[in-house]
Amino acid sequence: MNFADEDYELKEVQRLEGHTDRVWGLAWKPAAGVDGVPSVLASCSGDKTVRIWEQSASTGSFQCKAVLEDTHNRTVRSCAWSPSGKLLATASFDATTAIWENVGGDFDCVSTLEGHENEVKSVSWNASGSLLATCGRDKSVWIWEVLPHNEFECVSVLQGHTQDVKMVQWHPSMDILFSCSYDNTIKVWSEDGDNDDWHCVQTLGESNSGHTSTVWALSFNASGDKMVSCSDDLTIKVWGTDIKRMQSGDGNVTWTHLSTLSGYHDRTIFSVHWSRDGIISSGAADDAIRLFVENEDGSVDQPSYKLLLKKEKAHDMDINSVQWSSMENRRLASASDDGTVKIWELGSSLGQKKQSM
Amino acid sequence: MDTIEDIFESSLNLEETHFQQGYDEGYADGLISGKEEGREVGLKTGFEVGEELGFYRGCVDVWSSAIRVDPNCISIRIQKTIKQMDDLLHKYPISEPENEAVSDIIDSLRLKFRAICASLNVKLEYSGYPKASDAGNIEF
Repeated sequence: MNFADEDYELKEVQRLEGHTDRVWGLAWKPAAGVDGVPSVLASCSGDKTVRIWEQSASTGSFQCKAVLEDTHNRTVRSCAWSPSGKLLATASFDATTAIWENVGGDFDCVSTLEGHENEVKSVSWNASGSLLATCGRDKSVWIWEVLPHNEFECVSVLQGHTQDVKMVQWHPSMDILFSCSYDNTIKVWSEDGDNDDWHCVQTLGESNSGHTSTVWALSFNASGDKMVSCSDDLTIKVWGTDIKRMQSGDGNVTWTHLSTLSGYHDRTIFSVHWSRDGIISSGAADDAIRLFVENEDGSVDQPSYKLLLKKEKAHDMDINSVQWSSMENRRLASASDDGTVKIWELGSSLGQKKQSM
Repeated sequence: MDTIEDIFESSLNLEETHFQQGYDEGYADGLISGKEEGREVGLKTGFEVGEELGFYRGCVDVWSSAIRVDPNCISIRIQKTIKQMDDLLHKYPISEPENEAVSDIIDSLRLKFRAICASLNVKLEYSGYPKASDAGNIEF
């Protein structure tokens, strides 16, 4: 997609209020927002609750449909929908991960995963929904298998990071797990054979042109051959792999550094998310949202990225999460320390420009 | 000539002689207290290792007998992990504290123990187990 010849603007569509503390995480429900199924967004907060926001078919605006409370007794740091959209997993500072089942309009807590010693920081489902990963302050990464009747069995406890693990994320098509940490590295975990034998196959750190401070988040492009990461070192880095070789089962395929986006941020970047049509969004401690796209005119081998737009003062405080909708291409949600969630639409401002010419 | 030199030698080498004497005495003392300290550390560490291994041995034995009574009471995956713990406990070189495999085996035992407890949904904790996280770590 060529973003070169147009001017874009990020329009605030709606501001969702209800949380009484900072909002940490967001998750768009998959397979919603099309064919008459309304869009649904989950948000989790320092107020120990998760809110479910649903778009009204008649007005198009989002309304809070459910508040998931009285289960976690500390901050809910992260939430993730299973690929089918039936289950929502929530990771909390209370050391547990809760699994919620969506029955009609209600959400029931059907399982609680205990194992981490203390704060759970992130949760992620694999592409098929058969595995769940969690990570936390105890420096460990856990892999759970989803069994029938909402039972979860621990497959492996992975130790390798030397500090707090901030985020876990499965590859969008393969059962390869990625984790990023306060130890400044990204680790790649894969299973050796079919033996529950998971181990770290690669560590992306400073020696691989990696980050020099806490890595807060990572995200994949639609085809899964590129990954983007963001850090306290004020840079965004793009990594690439040979996806065809990886899919053919070659266990030795590694990820390499492709590009570093530096000079755009002057405060910590907490969140990064790659849209299906190739736009990288970032949310940072300077309260701004930035969008980046690949430079199409570059003749160099390595891809380079340019700033598409910067939305100053997108929130009143730090932005903890930015998430593109899985269905509506140009819809973005953001969550902030200011306690609000905002829905944005990326639109072209070309029309107005032409009129004035 | 020789006798005159000898007379002066003892005073000329006074510093060196005293240094050597002090060094020898210190060395002898060091041997004794070092050995004592080593023994203390050895007793303490040995006891701790033995206590932790014994704790895991006990858990594995109880789980294993439960499986013998009812093979379906614990899932195949967890049964496998329990067996792996059993093997590791047999493999642990108890009388070779300098064997480098020691730390790998104890790390592996701890991880497998946590995985089993999580899946069985039991809250067992070895009281001497070192927590992975530092108390001073930041919280977010």
